[in-house]
Amino acid sequence: MVKLLFFGRLSDYANGVPTQIQASTAAEIRQQLVTEHPLLATELSEPQVLVAVNKQIVDWQQALQDGDEVAFLPPVTGG
Amino acid sequence: MSLSDEQFLRYSRHLLMADIGEQGQQTLLQSHVLIVGLGGLGCPVALYLAAAGIGRLSLCDADTVDITNLQRQILYKTEDCDQLKVDCAKTALQQLNPAIDVVAHASEISAEILELGADIVVDCTDNLAARQLLNCHCYQRATPLVSASAIGWEGQLVSFDFKANRRLCYNCIIDENAGDPTMNCANAGVVGPVLGAMGSLQAATVIRMLLGQFDQHGEMQRYDAKTGRWLYLTASPKPLCAICATE
Repeated sequence: MVKLLFFGRLSDYANGVPTQIQASTAAEIRQQLVTEHPLLATELSEPQVLVAVNKQIVDWQQALQDGDEVAFLPPVTGG
Repeated sequence: MSLSDEQFLRYSRHLLMADIGEQGQQTLLQSHVLIVGLGGLGCPVALYLAAAGIGRLSLCDADTVDITNLQRQILYKTEDCDQLKVDCAKTALQQLNPAIDVVAHASEISAEILELGADIVVDCTDNLAARQLLNCHCYQRATPLVSASAIGWEGQLVSFDFKANRRLCYNCIIDENAGDPTMNCANAGVVGPVLGAMGSLQAATVIRMLLGQFDQHGEMQRYDAKTGRWLYLTASPKPLCAICATE
């Protein structure tokens, strides 16, 4: 199991999402959310959404280990 | 050259600090910083750097002041509407600190402006293309880059000391082909003080860099003002990065 963290405005779409999930990659987590949490899955599909595993920014395909914390961060591009 | 009596008074709160002092203030006075984008981030950056006595500030923005800017772009007044931002900013900054040199470039960022030799470039832009252009230029010229962004209640800061570190750049974190998200400040809004917080952090980072006190190359800070939470993240160089994996 990996722990999930939805940072910033992504947390507005994460009501009811389990805090832990079984998945091998962040991309798989997104895929698992499509059916029950389609709005969140859509937000996660935006360009520039970042994934961090144990606070290290990684690729969506990085292999996850049991106990990892997987954080999703929405794009922040304005100025 | 030693500080004048007026400078001793103006910068006295810096001079009191052991890790700035007269030598540090001289460094700031001899520095040149380019601020790209004079919006919600660029305004606090410019104000703090002018107040700190950065000797030369180059400002780059093609836009005019609009009434919708005034909720957050704290350099401008109501009567500035329809005037060029860089001209209004220059006037305000020179009122704040008449001794510094403020150069206004009323245009989009260009190679010509980037070639003017700034010691640090501050990315206060609002789109991916501009951010990538600044990243590429700063990497190639080994110029430190201080980049921030904001939307809604959220802010982001990431800085690169390309003089000291030749791997890991903005493109390693945000791919140049990612495209701009559908949400931006114009269609989703932004809270003014979030821009103030991130712009203030950019200004503090610039001062740290100029004083040789920066060691957080490529580390990212994220701020969610709605919950008061910060997140600190690290990143790794992308093995095939088109910018920094080519040397």
